[in-house]
Amino acid sequence: MLTIKNLHAQVEDTPILKGLNLEIGPGEVHAIMGPNGSGKSTLASVLAGREDYEVTAGSVDFDGTDLLDLDASDRAREGLFLAFQYPVEIPGVSNLNFMKAAINAKREHQGLEAISAKDFLALVKEKSALVELSGRLRDRSVNEGFSGGEKKRNEIFQMAMLEPKFAVLDETDSGLDIDALRIVSEGVNAMRDAGRSFLVITHYQRLLDHIVPDHVHVLSDGQIVKSGPKELALELEAKGYDWVKEEIA
Amino acid sequence: MSAANEKAHAFVAGLAASAGLAPLAEAGRQAMTDLPVPTRKSERWKYSPLTPMLVTPVRTAPAHEGWPKDVPTNPIPGLDAYRIVLLNGQVVAEACDLPVADGVVCIPLLQAMAEGRIGAGDEDWSAYHTREWVGAVHAAHAQDGLFLSLESGVVLDRPVLVHHHTTGENVASCPRHRLQVGANAEAEVVLWSSAPEGASGMVNAVLEGKVGAGARLGVDKVQHEHGAVFHLAHEHVTQDKDSTFRIHTVTVQGHWVRNELNALQHGSGSHTIMHGAYLPKGQEHVDNHTTMDHTVPHCTSSELYKGILYDRSTGVFNGKVFVREDAQLTNAYQQNANIVADAGASINAKPELEIYADDVKCSHGCTVGQFDEEALFYLKSRGIADRAARALMVQAFIGDVLEGFGQDEVAQEVEGLLADRHGWM
Ligand SMILES: Nc1ncnc2c1ncn2[C@@H]1O[C@H](COP(=O)(O)OP(=O)(O)O)[C@@H](O)[C@H]1O
Ligand SMILES: [Mg+2]
Repeated sequence: MLTIKNLHAQVEDTPILKGLNLEIGPGEVHAIMGPNGSGKSTLASVLAGREDYEVTAGSVDFDGTDLLDLDASDRAREGLFLAFQYPVEIPGVSNLNFMKAAINAKREHQGLEAISAKDFLALVKEKSALVELSGRLRDRSVNEGFSGGEKKRNEIFQMAMLEPKFAVLDETDSGLDIDALRIVSEGVNAMRDAGRSFLVITHYQRLLDHIVPDHVHVLSDGQIVKSGPKELALELEAKGYDWVKEEIA
Repeated sequence: MSAANEKAHAFVAGLAASAGLAPLAEAGRQAMTDLPVPTRKSERWKYSPLTPMLVTPVRTAPAHEGWPKDVPTNPIPGLDAYRIVLLNGQVVAEACDLPVADGVVCIPLLQAMAEGRIGAGDEDWSAYHTREWVGAVHAAHAQDGLFLSLESGVVLDRPVLVHHHTTGENVASCPRHRLQVGANAEAEVVLWSSAPEGASGMVNAVLEGKVGAGARLGVDKVQHEHGAVFHLAHEHVTQDKDSTFRIHTVTVQGHWVRNELNALQHGSGSHTIMHGAYLPKGQEHVDNHTTMDHTVPHCTSSELYKGILYDRSTGVFNGKVFVREDAQLTNAYQQNANIVADAGASINAKPELEIYADDVKCSHGCTVGQFDEEALFYLKSRGIADRAARALMVQAFIGDVLEGFGQDEVAQEVEGLLADRHGWM
């Protein structure tokens, strides 16, 4: 599904990713953990196509296409999705118009007709129920006046609407209370299937109790320094990141 | 005569003297020689010099030969309205559809003059010709337009569409309208100006209005002119107590536009709404000069202008708000927000508040910015192409101006025209 080889990326002139390798197969859930500032969000941004980040070396293959060759909107139409760590508020753009434009952009790319109003509303109803996003929120301007938890639920709602092949969730658990965490996780779990892969970025192990990963990786200073099964997350929680650093030193 | 004045003289030499509005025309002719031709040196015209207009002399069109067949008299699909249509400043009577009802006089201005409905010495409410050279040019050559007078308590059942169409090259049009809304009466007017590709010249339009006590006047004003028309417009509206005046001004397209809008509150308890939007492209120029004059207590005003400037276009916003000494308890709001979409475009924005009363609430803001890159990336990350993402943001940005139109059909048509023009979906 996704193969990252020797990825180097920088902002302005500061290198942040320093030779990152990662292979994610279809249907797999991978977790990336790591201390603040290790480059987790940078990896997410580079994959999604944010232009502030310059890739200086390496490659990213997404189901046979060179991901780095596409602009952000083409990546999304090819089936990539990023749930933002900090979702953006866009006053005046209604959440639903936004989703309709996004769905139709994807459908056009697939050679399909624009979605009918009826089908669209049915889809909205189904997917918003999944993350318990009330009509009141759903119909407002994109993220405007949403609480932190509501923003994260809106990210998962959008993911469910767009049905990507591969989704990156960047600290979707941060700022969530236990109820919201459960709702978000159930939304993600409902979407797990053999053809869809996830990269779950998190700082804390608790999310991984709900979304159980197949593999866990530790990111430190722009490189993956340790990989293991899901139990690695528990070990990290107990021993802290310094333990990994000492181990590799 | 200075070189500038000689140019100006040559520019107007082909204009026909106003036929039916003789006393005003005489005053205008006099004022044309007394007033300076504005140049870059005059503060009010600094960013909209008339020089490019004065290069090519214009002339009044000969008597019209009927409304052009390929131009709809009502350009707004679905709008159910009375209608007065003007071609190059002349009313085309057979294409009009005007109301006949008790307490309503809705006729061409020249007819109103001829019938003695405008008293001697009452031909002019704005004194525009005493203030501005372009006002004097208008007065000296004023043609025809809408005369609407509503008696007390009369509520017009449909809006009146005033459609001005410019056709031909180097044509001068000086349409003039008068709206008189009696106490507790209500009227809605749609001012629409159009011109086809290839049209050129000057439109120099004046609208005068009086809104009586407790009365309401709403105006939807849309400028949609192809070609190379220099469009000067002046609206001057005075308000009596407890009245409401609303005007939405949207420049969909225009080669060079200068709107000068004045609202004067003469009666306490009045409310004024002045909203506008401009989205120039190419090398277009749009200037909105507004004056909100609070002279009496307990009045409110809400002013909101939004602009998006593309390519190498230029814009001007100048919003004067006066709160005179007696205008205690005024609540005045002014906001002007601009997005400069391309590096070659520019806007000159200037709020001017002069407050002489002490117990008032006045807020104002003026912003000039670019597209929010974070928001753009967010939209694009969901598969929306760059152009479409920008369009969504533009629509969101000017949405609160467009939604305030009096007539939904006008708002829809304007959105459709903007979508076509800017490639929105
Ligand atoms: N846009 C940016 N401009 C400057 N520095 C950045 C930018 N984005 C990230 N960085 C820096 O790169 C490093 C990694 O940041 P980030 O990827 O956000 O880490 P994480 O998500 O793991 O906390 C940090 O030192 C951060 O300050
Ligand atoms: Mg981060």
